[in-house]
Amino acid sequence: MKISHAFYKKFIPDALKSSIDLGLKKRSYHQFRVILFSIMISIAMGPVIMVAILSYNNYDNLVQKEEREQLEWHLGGSIKSIEQMVESLKSVVQFAARRDRYTELVTDENLEELYIRMKQQYPFFADLGVIDQDGIQQAYFGPHDLKGADYAKEAWFKGVFDSGVYISRVYTGYRQVPHFAIAVSNLDPKTSKLWTLRVTIDAVTLQQFINTIKTDASDDLFLVDADGILQTSSQLYGKTLSKFEEKVTVGVHSNFSQAGENYFHAIGTITNTPWSLVLLKKRYIHNTDWKLFRRNLYLIVTGCTVISMLVVYTLVHLLTSLIRKADEMQLGMLKDAEHTNKLASIGRLAAGVGHEINNPLAIIDQKTGLIEDLLLMTDDFQHKKTIEQCLKVVNQSVDRCKAITHRLLGFARRTDIQAEDLQINDVIQDDLQFLENAMLYNRIKIELQLQEDLPHIKSDRLQLQQIFLNIINNAIDAIGKDGDISILSHLVAGEVRIVIQDNGPGIPENILPHIFEPFYTTKETGKGTGLGLSITYGIIKKLGGDISVRSHVGRGTAFTITLPLENKNND
Amino acid sequence: MIESNHDNIKVLIADDEVEFASTLLTRLQLRKFDVSTVNSGEAALRAIAEYQPDILLLDLKMPDMDGLEVLAQVKDDFPKMQVLILTGHGSFEVGLEGMELGAYDYIMKPVDLNRLIEKMMEAYRAKNS
Repeated sequence: MKISHAFYKKFIPDALKSSIDLGLKKRSYHQFRVILFSIMISIAMGPVIMVAILSYNNYDNLVQKEEREQLEWHLGGSIKSIEQMVESLKSVVQFAARRDRYTELVTDENLEELYIRMKQQYPFFADLGVIDQDGIQQAYFGPHDLKGADYAKEAWFKGVFDSGVYISRVYTGYRQVPHFAIAVSNLDPKTSKLWTLRVTIDAVTLQQFINTIKTDASDDLFLVDADGILQTSSQLYGKTLSKFEEKVTVGVHSNFSQAGENYFHAIGTITNTPWSLVLLKKRYIHNTDWKLFRRNLYLIVTGCTVISMLVVYTLVHLLTSLIRKADEMQLGMLKDAEHTNKLASIGRLAAGVGHEINNPLAIIDQKTGLIEDLLLMTDDFQHKKTIEQCLKVVNQSVDRCKAITHRLLGFARRTDIQAEDLQINDVIQDDLQFLENAMLYNRIKIELQLQEDLPHIKSDRLQLQQIFLNIINNAIDAIGKDGDISILSHLVAGEVRIVIQDNGPGIPENILPHIFEPFYTTKETGKGTGLGLSITYGIIKKLGGDISVRSHVGRGTAFTITLPLENKNND
Repeated sequence: MIESNHDNIKVLIADDEVEFASTLLTRLQLRKFDVSTVNSGEAALRAIAEYQPDILLLDLKMPDMDGLEVLAQVKDDFPKMQVLILTGHGSFEVGLEGMELGAYDYIMKPVDLNRLIEKMMEAYRAKNS
């Protein structure tokens, strides 16, 4: 356990360690705040962002699938319409080229008549030609003089005999106008030779048809041949016979246009023709639904982020200040404990020194006493007076030492506390009676703010008297002449608190921490033992209470004494 | 001149501080007390049995025996004997404990001789009343 504990400790950042583990290092509250903030934000925002990404992707997939299906369905429908259109054109040509009509149509007049009849119904028919088995155009009606033209070497001419029908790609031909041709071949029963009727049709037909089946103006619908040459015009790729830049592959593909717009292009072949239909459609991402969804998602995520940030920031702020306070308190307590320990050991030392000095002092005392006794029994001699004088001073010095040693021994006193029910206010009043003369003499005003309904406490009257006497005496000494002392008593958090405040010169900051230490005195030598406050401190601790001091140089000093209603120290 | 009307009062000083005891002995003798000294607890008990003093000046801390033990023994054997605890060690509540065991009073060293004699006379009068 211990090893793993130490192991973890290595990885815990300093800012999160307890103030004791930190040792000499100071906690970086900035680091603490950053770590806490990051952790809490990730916990709060992680799920939100994950859900947002998932729903974005799901919605994307769903809409895309639907879009593709619609596109395919749309494309399928368009292809069917075109196939029907082509089929009907083919039928017209096939009807005109019935097998027995070769002889009839090979004459120019009959061909012209057919042309005129057809033209009435299909105005976009450009010309008609009848071609024999050898590829020679035997009859022709149209804007060019193409009679006698030889098509034997053309690829389509061979194809038309194989399959009976041939539909050409769109080309410009002689007229420099885009058009395409439908050729139908048949066997003439009389000559037993194959012949072909070839019709050239204006490509505008295709364009018009495409325009009619195009349902959405924003879509781009056009025909291309296998090489990607536009058979009708396109909004995006230009006029008929321009180049379609994509590969002509059947299916739905997604792509970017040159303008950076996201497109689907769906491609499907039209059977029995050289054409494929291309449907270009802007993707759903330009749709209002998708835009709305994205906007809402963005709003929700942003809202969550902002709220989380605010909440987490506030929490982190609160927690940091709590930790800071806890740290300060802990350090304060450690310092206090240290101070108490220090005072206690100084007290023990003082008592020890007192004991050790007391016995030799008693011997000195007795020896001088004996010398005095002997001098009394002796007649006058030279220097007797001086010796008597010396002995007097020795006695005075012994008395001074005695005063100190006796007070020192007071530290070791564990006097039984004579607990009785008493009113603190009365004890203070009694003490003030003792001091009345001193205060009057020094022109010191006393201001009392004693809580009248202060509960009685169980404590030692004489000890308390000594405490207050000591502190008030100090206040009088500090003030010197002309000043105020205020004494305040009240109940705080189940304890009686007494504040004794003077407007004397105050205690300098460098002295303040030492005032409860024995022998620490600022009074001139011989006037104070430096034991008063340390004894006071000892008594208060014994009574289960506490004493603290605040002081400002030039403004005064305040001692605050707290006493429990009942002492739990000495049970 | 030193007052000297105490010749009928027998005093025993039990103190391990030889110099203190001997000086006090001399001074009390000068005042006509019937005084002797011992420097240990054991010796004190023997001297008491032999000498039967009116007043015992008892130190609380002696090398072989605690003063309070001596006190308890003395009070057992000679309940009427007056014991004054005179110590430089000890503490206030040890004094109180001594008084509970039957000591007449408790005096801290160093002590003014006149005050000590006062206490002794007080104790002596208390014994005989």
